[in-house]
Amino acid sequence: MTPAISLDGITKRFPGVLANDDVDLTVERGTVHALLGENGAGKTTLMNVLYGLYEPTSGRIVVDGTERSFEKPQDAIDAGIGMIHQHFMLVDSMTVAENVTLGTEPRKWGGLAIDRDQARQDVVDLCERFGLAVDPETRISELSVGVQQRTEILKTLYRGTDVLILDEPTAVLTPQEIEELLSVFELLTDQGKTIIFITHKLGEAMQAADEITVLRDGRNVGTVDAEATTREELAELMVGREVLLEVETSSYDPGAVTLSVDDLTVTNEQGIDVVSDVSFTVRRGEVFGIAGVDGNGQSELIEAITGLRRPQAGVIELGDREITDDDRRERIDQGMAHIPADRHERGVVMDFDLVENGLLGSQHAEAFVNNGRIDWKRTREHTETIIEEYDVQPPNPDASASALSGGNQQKFIVGRELARDPQLVVATHPTRGVDIGSTEFIHERLLELRAAGVGVLLVSSKLEEVRGISDRLGVMYEGEFVDTVDPEAVTEEELGLLMAGEQPAQEVSADERE
Amino acid sequence: MRELPSLGRKTLGGVVVLALVGGVLSGFVDKNALSSTLRLSVPIAFAALGGIFAEKSGVINIGLEGHLIISAFVGIYATNLTGNVWIGFAAGVLASTLFAVVFAIVCLEFRADQIIAGLAVWLVALGLAPFLSTVIYESVNAGSAGFDPITIPGLSEIPVLGALFDAKPPVYLMLLAVVGSWYVLNYTAFGRWVHASGENPQALDTAGVSVKRVRYASVLLSGVLAGIGGASLSLSLGEFSGNGQTMVDGRGFIAIVVYLLGNYNPIGTFLSTTLFAGLQTAQIQLQSGYLPSSLVQTIPYITVIIVLAGVGRTRTPDAAGDHYESGEE
Amino acid sequence: MSESDMLARVKERLRAVLRRSAQTSAVERLLISTAALGLAVLVGTVLILVSGRMTTCTTAAATYFGVGFCYDPVTVFDRLFLGALGDPMNPLFRPLHGEFAPPFRKGWSPFNAAMAVTLRETTVLVFTGLSVALAFRAGVFNIGTQGQLVAGALASALGLLVLAPIVPGGAVGAVLLVPAGLCIGAVAGGLYGAIPGVLKAYADANEVITTIMLNFVAAQFALYLVSNHFQRPGSQVVETVPLPDVGTIPSVVFDPRTNFSLLALAIAIGFGGVIYYLLQYTTMGYELRTSGLQPAGAEFGGVKTKRTIIASLTLSGALGGLGGAMYVMMILGNFQTGVPSYGFDGITVAILAGNNPLGVLFAAPLFGIIKSGSIVIDTATSMPPQLVDVLRGLIVLFVAMPEFFRLIGRRAIADEPSVPNGGDEDA
Repeated sequence: MTPAISLDGITKRFPGVLANDDVDLTVERGTVHALLGENGAGKTTLMNVLYGLYEPTSGRIVVDGTERSFEKPQDAIDAGIGMIHQHFMLVDSMTVAENVTLGTEPRKWGGLAIDRDQARQDVVDLCERFGLAVDPETRISELSVGVQQRTEILKTLYRGTDVLILDEPTAVLTPQEIEELLSVFELLTDQGKTIIFITHKLGEAMQAADEITVLRDGRNVGTVDAEATTREELAELMVGREVLLEVETSSYDPGAVTLSVDDLTVTNEQGIDVVSDVSFTVRRGEVFGIAGVDGNGQSELIEAITGLRRPQAGVIELGDREITDDDRRERIDQGMAHIPADRHERGVVMDFDLVENGLLGSQHAEAFVNNGRIDWKRTREHTETIIEEYDVQPPNPDASASALSGGNQQKFIVGRELARDPQLVVATHPTRGVDIGSTEFIHERLLELRAAGVGVLLVSSKLEEVRGISDRLGVMYEGEFVDTVDPEAVTEEELGLLMAGEQPAQEVSADERE
Repeated sequence: MRELPSLGRKTLGGVVVLALVGGVLSGFVDKNALSSTLRLSVPIAFAALGGIFAEKSGVINIGLEGHLIISAFVGIYATNLTGNVWIGFAAGVLASTLFAVVFAIVCLEFRADQIIAGLAVWLVALGLAPFLSTVIYESVNAGSAGFDPITIPGLSEIPVLGALFDAKPPVYLMLLAVVGSWYVLNYTAFGRWVHASGENPQALDTAGVSVKRVRYASVLLSGVLAGIGGASLSLSLGEFSGNGQTMVDGRGFIAIVVYLLGNYNPIGTFLSTTLFAGLQTAQIQLQSGYLPSSLVQTIPYITVIIVLAGVGRTRTPDAAGDHYESGEE
Repeated sequence: MSESDMLARVKERLRAVLRRSAQTSAVERLLISTAALGLAVLVGTVLILVSGRMTTCTTAAATYFGVGFCYDPVTVFDRLFLGALGDPMNPLFRPLHGEFAPPFRKGWSPFNAAMAVTLRETTVLVFTGLSVALAFRAGVFNIGTQGQLVAGALASALGLLVLAPIVPGGAVGAVLLVPAGLCIGAVAGGLYGAIPGVLKAYADANEVITTIMLNFVAAQFALYLVSNHFQRPGSQVVETVPLPDVGTIPSVVFDPRTNFSLLALAIAIGFGGVIYYLLQYTTMGYELRTSGLQPAGAEFGGVKTKRTIIASLTLSGALGGLGGAMYVMMILGNFQTGVPSYGFDGITVAILAGNNPLGVLFAAPLFGIIKSGSIVIDTATSMPPQLVDVLRGLIVLFVAMPEFFRLIGRRAIADEPSVPNGGDEDA
């Protein structure tokens, strides 16, 4: 049987980056094929080439036995290829039916008007055929992420897609939604559709796929049968060396409370409570981790603690001082360092050079400013120290932040924030996009601070990270703390259930440790 | 009517209240006042409708004022040249559309900042119209033939509302354009694409519709509509005056506030237009009263500021103002 | 899903503009500004020729390709640029023909009357240019410099008329009154600028619209105040009585009748340096630039964004107000309605200067020449001086599209294909 997709020697070169290096890939009709690899391995680039978003530098694309060249996504769509991106391509203010039919609306009155009834009927029919439950009349903004994703799938099916590409489809889903998605995969392949999905999670690839292709550094390092492979084999293919994730932690000896959050409630822009009645404390000399699926109120909670968002109710104390009404600057002055989740938006000013970025947050600090006049010489020295200590590449203080890779921006931010001599570090995804060596270095620095009696509040979507270096772990679900657990005692399964909002079993509670 | 496009309930309420206030001020009970309100609405309403299309598609056209100015002048000039008001009118619209073509190319091909490019369109028109007027008529002011009113027998005799049937052609065109724009935006595929292009251009692009084309069409449409407004303004009076800020006198900027207040809905926008036009009508009446005219003339501008501060956070299209290049992520 | 508001939208877009302009090197910016100016002159030439066919005249001013034109672009631009400098060129200096007479015309003095007009316009334009540039750097579009200038001009004129009777005459009076007049202008402009600042910070009102509206309000209010309360008796125009001599800025070197003071120009240049220092070397300037480039980053760094918005518009307004005070105290000697559009020219100056305060010191004289040249055009040719307003718009338009010149530049240098955007995979 002719394979549904056959990529032959695809190379994609960007200025300074070889994203795909002579990649071959064969996907059989009616199967689920996982594209597995670490961040930056070239998975998305490869799929963007297949979808016509990028033109390959060299190589051939063969669809259903016919060689094709795609200049734009529309060409790929015409060839029966559909792609669902990580960020959904949906118009929030339009309904499911409107989104599904966008661009190919059924018309009436000689094309002068959209036939809304027909559009709705089309979507209903499509849902029935593939066993998907979506209400065509609901606005996207009122749907859960899982249903939005299903709408995206409907959208591609409506356009007659045979090959469905999904980019990290599970990143934003709860475990239950992931289950549902995987059963949708089955329904679709039963009807003869072919699915390629991008993931960096081993377990998922093994569970859902028939075949798994592993990419590393832009190269295909092996295609394996999902039934026949093992986790160990896949992990080695992905990383290329033995993975060591155990972090040495010194003895746990917490001191006085440095951050206390009491009954905190935070609302979002729409006035909906996204954090409800959350209470916890962080002590000196401990790492308090917060785990949870992204979007369960973690970012709003952190924004409220760091002074970037005003809470609706509750009390926040830093050391002995109530800081609920303090603004951001006062919190910085009180010794709160913050590694923000969104480094492009907050952590660095992209068009400032590193010297100017080194001053961010310290522009009132006596160390760098005399009577409102900035001491650029001292700021430069400070910046050079950060660059050296954290191995920021390129080591040029005059380079603008936008010229640095994401990982290097992150290292710079971590360096600047930890140099504040803080009593509390609020770290959100501190190692996102950072290579393994630097990840280890950042973890070590956080643990050094812990040993020196600094409190660390850590939020990360990487379970290994929060489990690995936290002393206590709070699990958030829909804006509430489901439980606080001992990260060493809790199993991955128990954590998964907690993250999905299941009420805790009593024995894993970490409170006894205090 | 479940599919009726949502007009923010608060905004709708606000518009109704304000329209009532404006109505009371202008004395809607009077046929003359109503017909004056309608007449004064014309340039603002057309510019605002044009602004809706452009901004909903993601291109903020802050140069509406410039479109009004250039079409007002060219309308007069071409009428004198050809002796036909309608040809003059068409020429005015064409001139404004040409400005829109330049604006669209500059924004969509050369990634110019929309606000600065829009300001440039305004500044060019603000210089060009009086310049051409001086070149041709040796004065910044010029006159020509104008539109004659069309009176529908019988209906025009109705008290007060008779004003709707006793007006110059632009007033009828305006009522048509309001309904037409509302229909296009809410019931046609193009309207839906305009919406998607402004809210999530990538969604539209990946659905196989060219964002650039939709934006070109929308910006050109804004030029056409604003051009109708400008040509109507001058040809209803049969004169162009180019002193200071010209006869357009900020109407293009008021138009922007008007459609923000109308929440990008043509019907709501028309209602808020009548509010401003009503204020102007009232102002004309107040001028004959106690307040000095120079102070009375500030009323519409101050109202704009107050309304803008009151409305505050307006829900604007997510991608408005951003350049979009297909294939970029 | 996300309830984006106008404020965020404008900021977002501004950030994109600022990012682009920050990426361009100073040399590239200079090249783009020069190219934009050149293109504006080119389009202006076409316009002059076309309009020369639209009007009627007894004798053609110029004949090109066998066609007569009523306006000659060469004469127009010669008057515009050289006329504004008082015709410095020696007609015998023709190096291309191998005639090397002294380049400057005999009898030409840099202190001539046309030069004085150029420099006095420059003085006011430095202030308005700085006003727009400063706000822009803070991420705020201040289109209201014109209104702030009117507010400053009116306030300083009225203030001086009130103060004049209670201060002594002579040098002492001048030493007291001139700074007082400038201060009053700055304060009035600053307060008038603070209005849109407060509205933007606390009510999310888009400053582009509010400042434009406030321009109209300022003009009307000035008309009301002067015509109803301070009208100079017997005058045909709406104006106040003349200021006492001690309330005007004394001219230095130049003929007092030229209404230009080198002192005022020196003050203006000084302000260019001060604003540059403020932006580059002070905490306030740092915070201002941070919020202009990346509001979310500024917020992260503890910048009080609302306060920064108000401060930047107030300062911007104060600079506009100072420009107005200069206009009244140096050029007019009283207040008249129908203030020239210095504020709008300030936008052009700022954009041409890439919003750099030092760049403003170079862009302002260029515009001073154009403004002064327009007066020469009016007297020396039959060309309507509104041509200059068209050029102003064209310059803004062309400077706004650097991508166009980059494209041409790339084509000219090599047949280098444009690099695709992307490659930053975030899989």
